[in-house]
Amino acid sequence: MIGFLTPLWLLAGIAAAIPLLIHLLRRRIGTRVEFPAVRYLARAEREHSRKLKLRNLLLMLLRVFAVLVVVLAAARPVLRAAGTGHAPTALALVVDNGLSSSLVSNGQAVLAALKDRAREVVRRASAKDKLWLLTADGAVAGGTRGTILEAIDRLEPLAGAGAPASALAAAASLVRQDARQEHEIALFTDAQATTWRSPLNLGDVQLRVFVPAAVNSRNRGVTAAGAVPVRWTPRGAVRARVLTPDSATYRITLGGRTLARGTAGRDEEIAVRAAPAERGWTAGAVEIEPDEMRGDDVRHFAVWIGAPPGVAVHPAVGEFASSAIDALIQSERVASGNDIAFVPVDAATRLPALLVAPSDPVRLGAANRALERLGVPWRLGLVRRGETAVRGAGARDSQAAQRLANVSASWRYRLMRRPGESAEVLATAGGEPWIVRGGGYVLIASPLLPDATTFPVRASFVPWLGDVLSHGLTATASSVVTSTPGRPVPRPATARELELPGGARQPLTTDTLQAPERAGAYFFYRGGARVGALVVNPEAEESDLTRLGDAALQTKLGTRQVRVAHDQRSLAAMILTSSPRRSLLMPLVVIALLLVLAESVLAGTGGRRAA
Amino acid sequence: MRAQRADMIDPATIAALGHIELVARWIVDGFLAGMHRSPRKGFSVEFAEHRPYQPGDELRYLDWKIAARSDRWVVKQYEEETNLRASLVLDVSRSMEWTGSPTRLTKLAYAERLVACLALLFLRQRDAVGLVRFDDSVRTVLPPRARSAQWKRIVTALNEGGTGRASHAPEGLEAAGRQITRRGMIVLISDLLVDADGVLRVVRGLRGAGHQVTVLHVMDPAERELPFLHDAVFIDSESELEVPASVAEVRAAYRTTVGEAIDEWRSAFAATGTSYELITTDSPFGVPLRRAFAARQRLP
Repeated sequence: MIGFLTPLWLLAGIAAAIPLLIHLLRRRIGTRVEFPAVRYLARAEREHSRKLKLRNLLLMLLRVFAVLVVVLAAARPVLRAAGTGHAPTALALVVDNGLSSSLVSNGQAVLAALKDRAREVVRRASAKDKLWLLTADGAVAGGTRGTILEAIDRLEPLAGAGAPASALAAAASLVRQDARQEHEIALFTDAQATTWRSPLNLGDVQLRVFVPAAVNSRNRGVTAAGAVPVRWTPRGAVRARVLTPDSATYRITLGGRTLARGTAGRDEEIAVRAAPAERGWTAGAVEIEPDEMRGDDVRHFAVWIGAPPGVAVHPAVGEFASSAIDALIQSERVASGNDIAFVPVDAATRLPALLVAPSDPVRLGAANRALERLGVPWRLGLVRRGETAVRGAGARDSQAAQRLANVSASWRYRLMRRPGESAEVLATAGGEPWIVRGGGYVLIASPLLPDATTFPVRASFVPWLGDVLSHGLTATASSVVTSTPGRPVPRPATARELELPGGARQPLTTDTLQAPERAGAYFFYRGGARVGALVVNPEAEESDLTRLGDAALQTKLGTRQVRVAHDQRSLAAMILTSSPRRSLLMPLVVIALLLVLAESVLAGTGGRRAA
Repeated sequence: MRAQRADMIDPATIAALGHIELVARWIVDGFLAGMHRSPRKGFSVEFAEHRPYQPGDELRYLDWKIAARSDRWVVKQYEEETNLRASLVLDVSRSMEWTGSPTRLTKLAYAERLVACLALLFLRQRDAVGLVRFDDSVRTVLPPRARSAQWKRIVTALNEGGTGRASHAPEGLEAAGRQITRRGMIVLISDLLVDADGVLRVVRGLRGAGHQVTVLHVMDPAERELPFLHDAVFIDSESELEVPASVAEVRAAYRTTVGEAIDEWRSAFAATGTSYELITTDSPFGVPLRRAFAARQRLP
């Protein structure tokens, strides 16, 4: 069978019509020449007309064939010789060993079936083939059949989805760079819909896909779990969500101790409030009963638990602010103490502090001197009067924005940041900063008085104040970093070490670190103390085992040459089956040269002696 | 230039050097200088007069007595010295007014110079020579004369008009035959793009009348080789015959056909005992002169 490596060149075959047109139009001659011996010319044409016609026809055919042969050669034809084994092939095996491949179906793990098929393909390879094995975690192994078989034996399911699409793209790049005649990719996957979500662009590469037939897609899994808020003082809640087709029994643990048990229905959010006795950074988990896919039956979280911060309220902050603090103390969100000062700016002497603008503009100078003394990179400017709406920073539907909804400022100081200093703006008024936060301080640009702002008389003021005093002035939410297994994550600024399972600590020397491959709650350390947590869980969508059909999978894989097999026999019929190819380029070039030579000789019999 | 033999110089080159009369003298002088013996024949026993000795004269006709007495070299001439009447028949039709290259003479220009040379050569042999010019009719008829003024008349006649459309060679040959009452020599100078049957018929008649007929077939080299590079419509200005041709394709066949046509002429003339010579316009004038002279030598 003949194939073409660059078939577009065949379109140039239209050029074969050029000699034909020249032949047909050659009698349309415009030049007129006086020549006395025309009678000899007429006689020559008359007597040799048959020979001349034959010669012209032969010349035309030679030219047409020469053009066609050159066009054929440009299309790089190859001849496939059947019955001589398969052609040397660059074959990349991509095994999707994401978490979903750990599913046990019909008594066998999906990954085991994928590995079996991969082994069979590798055993059919010859020494002339080039083999690679790529997995969803980005690992690449290349070498002999033995090496690849060993690598397949070592494959385990990942704790997360991994990146099989990236592995597939890398495989396409590898095979394309190889000089062998044939380039094939064998993908072994469970065709999970959430894995092959976006269409790929693999170019013109032959992709053979093995998808196990009849895999059970019923699954239960914990798709969300977390402490709300991240810092409990010491009250808080655990929120979780379970993917289940009916109902599932769950257990929530904290510090290895069972915090709660219960049963969750389909799409039901679990919320358990607690005030545990533990203190400091603590690991927790939400578990359900084991099913066919164990990897998503538990989901980890981390929480900081401690006593409420002690707040010292300055009388000048106003009656409403003092009442709010009393309410927070009664609900044990804060306590009386000296951990945090709630004070007008001009009276502040230490941090951390919740700073309120002075109610008398005369105190502006003293306030700015206090800010300077405390190292706060903001200054209070001139008073701006007039009703102005306050807007919380961040998304409109965020909790912070909602708490500042319908709040206005009647008069306020203009907040000016010191050049070069960074700060976080929590709210704006008239487009200018109104509440700002930095290391150890939160600064409000208006006094908390009804004639200056409606904020202290709003119902949202008390919870806002509780959040600021509990979390905003003691630690940041970034102390808990969430990730999926194996992914790079930013290192918190205060973290110097990461505690691994078993108690060993890994020094952190770069700004990013790779999350552990195993799911769990890991703790950051600075000195001898825990300063945050890294929570690693599988992607929630990995619990959704809905599979793509063959047609949808072919569309997602984005190459024209995708074929899908569901059993070993079909797979064997489509991988490593290309017959060896023999290029017909040189024979065609020789034929073209011979045709051109013949044409020259034939044309020369009439024209070479012209001079 | 005269250091070389003028009869062996390229015709276009020597023609550019001067008038036809002057050029013809150079050519004939050169031609005679190249002969090993005097071309003159027909010295009879009846003495007529003396004339100065010229190089090439046979020494046996030298008058030794006069040489001894007066130290002058003279030869004796006799009454029957002018024993040949020749007529030159020149084709001046339009086809003769053609050249395949600007560096070559047209066939007519070449033929006119050749006629001038032949006439001079004949006259120097004391032969009577005449001229007939024809195209679609007979344009000029000069009866043969052996006087030296005859050559002037012939040269003057060559400058007369002509180059009519057609080429009626039989009429020209018949006119020449009528001018020669006894056996003589007729030289036809033409490109032979004529009616072959008519020419052969008249030639047979002339041969039957005892005349020696010599045909000098003048061709331009381009007419033999068809050297054109591009395809064209080729037009015969005489017959207005038009033939479109792809030169590269037809060239070989054309050359074969021309060769066959020449062979046919040669065979046909040989069958009538006519001397036939093919002359191309790039040949030095010495070549046709030598051939015509050889034909003349075969006559008594």
